[in-house]
Amino acid sequence: MVSGSPSLLAYYERDSFLHRTNPGAKLIASLVLIGIVAVFFDPFTPLAFLMLAVLMARFLGGIPWQRQARALLPYFPLCLGLVFYYSILYRPLPGQSLTPLASVGPLLLTAEGLRVGLSIGLRLLAIISFSQAFIATTDPVLLVMSLIQQFHLPYRLGYGALAAFRLLPLLETELSAIRAAHRIRGVGERPGIIGRWRQLRRYAVPLLADAIRRAERVALAMDARAFGSSPQRTYFRTTPLRPSDYSFLAGTLAISLAILLCLSQLGLLHGFLEVPR
Amino acid sequence: MSCPHAVEVNDLTFRYATRGRPALRQVSFALSRGETALLLGPSGSGKSTLALCLNGLIPHLIEGEWSGRVIVDDLDVQKTPTSLLTQHVGIVFQDPESQFCLLTVEEEIAFGLENLALTRPEMEGRLQLVLRQLGLEPLRKTRLDRLSGGTKQRVALAASLAMGCHILVFDEPTANLDPRGTAEVFRLLADLKASGDYTILIIEHKLDDLMPQVDHLIVLGRDGTLVADGEPRQVLANQAETLRREGIWLPQMTQLALKLDKAGLRLEPIPLSIEEAQAALERQDGRLLWSTAATGPAVPARQAAPPGGSPPAISIRNLRFAYPGGQEVLTGANLEVAEGDFIALVGPNGAGKTTLALHLVDILRPPVGTVSVLGRDVRALSPLELTRQVGFVFQNPEHQFVTDTVFDEVAYSLRARREPEQKVRAVVQATLEEFGLERLARANPFTLSQGQKRRLSVATMLVVGQEIIILDEPTYGQDSQNTARLAEHLLRLNASGRTIVVITHDMQFVADHCRSAAVVLNGKIALQASTAELFAERELLTAAGLARPPLLELSLRLRQRYEHFPLLWSPSQFAGLVTVPATSAGGESKG
Repeated sequence: MVSGSPSLLAYYERDSFLHRTNPGAKLIASLVLIGIVAVFFDPFTPLAFLMLAVLMARFLGGIPWQRQARALLPYFPLCLGLVFYYSILYRPLPGQSLTPLASVGPLLLTAEGLRVGLSIGLRLLAIISFSQAFIATTDPVLLVMSLIQQFHLPYRLGYGALAAFRLLPLLETELSAIRAAHRIRGVGERPGIIGRWRQLRRYAVPLLADAIRRAERVALAMDARAFGSSPQRTYFRTTPLRPSDYSFLAGTLAISLAILLCLSQLGLLHGFLEVPR
Repeated sequence: MSCPHAVEVNDLTFRYATRGRPALRQVSFALSRGETALLLGPSGSGKSTLALCLNGLIPHLIEGEWSGRVIVDDLDVQKTPTSLLTQHVGIVFQDPESQFCLLTVEEEIAFGLENLALTRPEMEGRLQLVLRQLGLEPLRKTRLDRLSGGTKQRVALAASLAMGCHILVFDEPTANLDPRGTAEVFRLLADLKASGDYTILIIEHKLDDLMPQVDHLIVLGRDGTLVADGEPRQVLANQAETLRREGIWLPQMTQLALKLDKAGLRLEPIPLSIEEAQAALERQDGRLLWSTAATGPAVPARQAAPPGGSPPAISIRNLRFAYPGGQEVLTGANLEVAEGDFIALVGPNGAGKTTLALHLVDILRPPVGTVSVLGRDVRALSPLELTRQVGFVFQNPEHQFVTDTVFDEVAYSLRARREPEQKVRAVVQATLEEFGLERLARANPFTLSQGQKRRLSVATMLVVGQEIIILDEPTYGQDSQNTARLAEHLLRLNASGRTIVVITHDMQFVADHCRSAAVVLNGKIALQASTAELFAERELLTAAGLARPPLLELSLRLRQRYEHFPLLWSPSQFAGLVTVPATSAGGESKG
């Protein structure tokens, strides 16, 4: 009722290579890529993989530059904050000396700190970028189908998750209506932890009452259409693993290794907590 | 098939495991193949429970104490697995939002077929068949959340038809829809009936457009017993009083016939549709008497708004509004509501009615100089001052409950204003008595009945002496007694000088109680006029998807034959025209 801007971290409906790729394969690829970004501690690896994510999303997933930028933009202030925070407050590891770059009053900006800050900020952006590429190119229904069909997720759980996913926007609308109703009663949004807690409790009762009623109704409607009434079940939308999915996985691994190899040849690659020379 | 009945219910009693009293008691009836039956009953009479007993969710999935027998398509419900029953009996539920679990039309229709373990080609075949049957082909890949309420119900029906169901239960399918969606569902019902292939059981409150389709009327009482079962005309002719005592909505045409009967004019046969009422009245030519002098706008005089001089209660000038990143909802709305008015905001869903109203209570902030209340710009008022003048009753009363007891709920705004506790107690006590809630003072607001919740939410909005009260869909989900009680309260408040704004789809409520109306269409006020003038605007009503109340439609049709027939919308207005039994067989009897 009172909210309503479409989320940028949502499925972006169109046809592309990534849209056609098996969601499970995409999930594995995304986890591998995010894993790589997480274990290297230099700024160059996340930068390279951020570029990879953005290029993949654009050319394999058909997601326009603009949309990608708008999805990443909200995180820029946080990333910049991290860069400055570490640049100034970084403490040397044992046996490490710091190279001052500039000083602002009592604050000293060091090259090592800047490096750590950049590595963390870029890593965050790279992870968001991979997540965005995955979410934007994956139909949530197909993801659940793939989890059921290839990863043996019990189908009751899978469909339950889908039903809950459908209810989320409704609950969001509901919450904004409750907030509006409470404001009209003159119940202001209180500052402070205790105020927040009380407010949460007040919102929670009508919200939960509504969520439970809706969930009951959905469950009833699903049962009325024979959900779970026989041991066998077939699927209208199937997500077979095709040769192209294997190629996609292999390609992703090959490119990742190639990037890592290049970086290490250039002497730019550093693992977790490894002291740079 | 061996049995002529599609459905046979024999001596059915069911008690939910979690409740003390049975929801259904010794209910017996039968539906013939191909007939359309209407199931009536006050809220809590077990109508939905009965629906679930037909497709086997009760007793197979919902536990309780069951006795008696239910046979559908020659299958004993108690002994047949739900996987089979769900291929015979399909249900379309009330809430179009929460009966789906997938995201697109085709996925949702296929869901039931997957559960029956059909092969992909079988699913495709059935899918194409029902999509064609219900005209959903162009929407096949469309996301469900982009469909209108009426179309969602069509998809829900398609899902049942795809499973092979020939017994269809509609559980208040239009309760959450605007008039346009309601019309869509009723057209669908008429098509199903015309095909002759389906046995239909409908639970519904909007009766006047539906009655011509109904072959069979079944009525449950408050305690879950069968009160009436038979041919609709007979049931309505013989048992109308019983039905009214049970708090059941009666068709307007039936109410008309009852009122006229009391006034000494018997319509025979008892009319079920506007056409029948028109014919019956024309046969009684000469028994209604009206004066040609009282026509013109033809509104029986109502209390006029207080004379000018004081500023309008609400003034909105060229208000525009768009949700962030979304479409423009209000595109330059102008509205001026006089103090003491009782005005309805009507229009299709999404036209901006609620959005407009939220600008009056500081939930949405209008630009300075566009919205004023009692002569003062809302932007110049503090939230506390504004809530002292304007009360807003939300569609879902639960949303505005902020305390744990009914008493505290009413006291809340007073205490927030630091009124002395003694005064708080006195005011709360008086308010609770006024709204018939005094015995529930210690109850938790969430445990009240629908009607009580609605009355409580209105009561909480009045205790600080608000001059303007806005109600969003106040009659939604209320039975006839609750609606009548609420209307009584509102009229009393209005008579004491308060300005009342009602956002509603209920055109009978508008005709019965509102003095004026504003039509919200495409983000603008398309018309602000007296209710009589509104109902004369045929084209605008069509454009806004609004229907005239049935009796008003009847009086307009009578006007085509009798030049000066007045515009009437309530049974008692018609009854007021009845002459004492004519001594001579009079011809035209215009005054």
